Amino acid sequence: METLRLKINGESVEAQIDPGMTLQEFLHGKLGMTGTKLGCGIGMCGCCTVIVDGKAAKSCIMLAVQASGKSVETIEGLADEQSLDPVQEAFVHNGAIQCGFCSPGQIMASRAFLNECPNPTEDEVRHALSGNLCRCTGYHKIVQAVLKASQIQEQ
Amino acid sequence: MDSREEYKYIGKREENVNAVAKATGRAQFCSDIQMTGMLHAKVKRSPYPHAKILSIDTSKAESLPGVKVVIVGDEKTCPERFGAGVADEYVLARDKVLFVGDPVAAVAAETEEIAQEAVDLIEVEYEELTPVFDGDEALSEHPPAILHEDLKNYKTLRSVPPRYVGERPNVFNYFRIRKGDLEKGFENADLVFENRFETAMIHHVQMEPHCGVAMVDDGGRLVVWGTSSKPYGMHRDIHESRNLPSSSVRVIIPAHVGGSFGGREPKAEQIAASLALAQKGYPKRPVMMWLTREEHLSTTTTRAHYLVDIKTGVKKDGTIIANKLRLVLVGGAYAGTGYLTARNASFGPAANYKTENFSLDAYGVYTNQRMAGAYRGFGNAEALWGMECQMDVIAEALKMDPLEFRLKNCMDEDEFNAFGEKMHSVGAVECLKAAAEMIEWGKKTESKEPHLKRGKGISLGNKYSIIPTASGAIVKVHPDGMVELRTSTVEIGQGSSTIFSQMLAEEFQVPVSKVRVLNPDTDITPFDLGTSSSRSTFNMGNAIRKACLDAKKQLFHLAATELKVDPDDLETADCKVFVKGSPERSIEIKDLFIPMVIGGYTLKEGAEIIGKATYYLPGVMPDPDTGHSERPASFYMFVSQAAEVEVDTETGQIRVLKIVTANDCGKAINPTLVEGQQEGGVLSMGIGSTLMEEVIVDNGVMLNPQFADYKIPTTLECPSCDNYKSAIIETAHREGPWGAKGVGEGTMVCSSPAIAAAIYDAIGIRFHEIPITPEKVLKALKDKEATQK
Repeated sequence: METLRLKINGESVEAQIDPGMTLQEFLHGKLGMTGTKLGCGIGMCGCCTVIVDGKAAKSCIMLAVQASGKSVETIEGLADEQSLDPVQEAFVHNGAIQCGFCSPGQIMASRAFLNECPNPTEDEVRHALSGNLCRCTGYHKIVQAVLKASQIQEQ
Repeated sequence: MDSREEYKYIGKREENVNAVAKATGRAQFCSDIQMTGMLHAKVKRSPYPHAKILSIDTSKAESLPGVKVVIVGDEKTCPERFGAGVADEYVLARDKVLFVGDPVAAVAAETEEIAQEAVDLIEVEYEELTPVFDGDEALSEHPPAILHEDLKNYKTLRSVPPRYVGERPNVFNYFRIRKGDLEKGFENADLVFENRFETAMIHHVQMEPHCGVAMVDDGGRLVVWGTSSKPYGMHRDIHESRNLPSSSVRVIIPAHVGGSFGGREPKAEQIAASLALAQKGYPKRPVMMWLTREEHLSTTTTRAHYLVDIKTGVKKDGTIIANKLRLVLVGGAYAGTGYLTARNASFGPAANYKTENFSLDAYGVYTNQRMAGAYRGFGNAEALWGMECQMDVIAEALKMDPLEFRLKNCMDEDEFNAFGEKMHSVGAVECLKAAAEMIEWGKKTESKEPHLKRGKGISLGNKYSIIPTASGAIVKVHPDGMVELRTSTVEIGQGSSTIFSQMLAEEFQVPVSKVRVLNPDTDITPFDLGTSSSRSTFNMGNAIRKACLDAKKQLFHLAATELKVDPDDLETADCKVFVKGSPERSIEIKDLFIPMVIGGYTLKEGAEIIGKATYYLPGVMPDPDTGHSERPASFYMFVSQAAEVEVDTETGQIRVLKIVTANDCGKAINPTLVEGQQEGGVLSMGIGSTLMEEVIVDNGVMLNPQFADYKIPTTLECPSCDNYKSAIIETAHREGPWGAKGVGEGTMVCSSPAIAAAIYDAIGIRFHEIPITPEKVLKALKDKEATQK
């Protein structure tokens, strides 16, 4: 067992874990933060996307201990008591969510991307989200939502 | 029923009622369920496609610390077979395994790791048998292997029984249509065309793999949560296969399920149930069985490898006068939904075009692979792949514009289809014209580079919705005015909870926020046939309207006494009941309830304001010899799609530059949700099935059961937002709620032929099989060059 200390959504967290545990297993299984989904386990679908020290990361191929001392943001931490994050708002208003299983990953990947590239072209958005698979939407309304969110933030 | 009338909630782009929960990560899926003491399940699967089970030794697994339950396929655990149409499957294989991955034993343990270790300690001795994989071989009178020797003695579904073919022992369903005089038709034809077309096996790739959680509650009842799209079908499978009274089992489907697309057989749920029941002693712990992505892609239902043989006779002027089809669904080891898919693939070809003389033979055959059957389109996409490609071959031979050829022959209102059914609500012409306009049909574009070739293609499709069908709905009016719907329709992402909320909002004239839709629970929500066949808007919608009438009847009866008027003079809106024309004479719904001394509110009679109704549509079963029926389906959705592609003749890669779809849905209850279905159908599954996806199998083993090698479209494979267009065509159905039909099932029934026609237009090569991969394109270009030399 290893002692893991890190920040999750701004809060300090300490836990005893098996060092072989992935960050996704830690968040979903150990902490009950079920928003970070397991979609494939090999880092190819993006359902497990979180933000680690400001960068999008696939938590299913990251050991929890690799996040030691770092700041992790999950889907649960994006909205505050009053309002949704602009990316979440845009997804909701634009009809970009169908079954919702890929949505937390799509939203976190989009959030991390817009933080770095606040005024992207459609092509840049598509490239940034090419690691987030969706079977329901065909990405059409997702891409539109991310562009809308970038425009709202620009204002 | 005029589908163009303006309503307050119907036809509006109401926000999806589950969107915020899903956007914040709050939404709980089956695979998110966490219960105290929950055990985790793993399955021992057959490594052989066809073998006898000689012995199973579970002793080492049972003595591994942390292992709580070990079960095998025996009389005690798996007493009865079950199945959608023919009961040919045990929960765990007994005596024989019939595909690589067939479950033979299962373990429930403290952790997934321990369960997997235990599975690896189970020793199974097999005697290999010859397998059969090829569809034509499996169909033959002397196949290399017969999977179900005792098939004719299996129990079958009474309402739509499968039909076998005596001399062909692997056929699990046979269906035929005979209309007119086919021989005469071909004699009178000026030109006759005969071709074979095929589709590869592909997977639904729902983002949430199948999951089941089962427990025996403190009353001794089995409760099972799952990802199934048919809670009552799952319910029946569970109790019938165990000889349990139906009322002793409770099935719950969470409010959020990660996609379905027709592929949600209860594979995980059945195993979790058996493990839960096999526990000895107390407490009885819940068991979760969640398939890994590898298990999901390699052992659950696929869209079948399909063989479509089509022979068509036409006149020189382009009139289709004879069509003969043979459809073979190359099924798996168990029929599953494949039994019905094999039969109902016939609807697409039967209804697309007006044809005097029509013959069809449809087969579903067993092979030693995992189950193949229901997928978005239910066999119609596969059958229409053949038919629509054939139409393009014909149009070219006649030197006719493929669009004009289709407009000349396509189905229309009041025309008769191959079943002899008079068609109603047919948007074929409008869809074709809309698609042609959106793709700018007839206008050629050129790429800058000579090695990049461009082309356009257009297609027509249709998708029926099933009969017989039944949907039950219960509507409760709460004392605070909230209106609650109890429905067994599953919210799989299509937005059923949202459109039902809109329907209730419209009926009671309250905002959507004053409405609640419960998730399926066989203790609470009444029977529904299942969330498939694009049947929910129409059937559950009609049931909801009837149930609302029933609830309002009770509401008005109560209010009539208070307001001293006739119940027929009353209306409701904004949680009030008021006199028609005199809204000041009103009473609030909450004041119809009597506050009681210790607490709570009651009515004097009837306990609650609760309306209930069934919408039952039996249809007419097709004649077994001719397929003739006046009502073999509840309705048809028509669709036309067009594509522009660019083929890189150096790499073989195909880029979909532009793709458009026009879908006739009767009435769009929520246009945003209709668009969502169109987009997903075309962009993910249409493009994916045509250009990318294939379950690659070697001796029954799937070689690509992960996203590394089974590729579905990403953002980069889809055209840019400006280059995807959609149109919603509303040809109202006289029996549909507000004229509505459905949309989801028809969204990719003709995507593949549109793309293939565009490829032909670009490089002059006609592909008869999908997927059309770069390797195949390069080979075809090379072969073409060689023959031209």
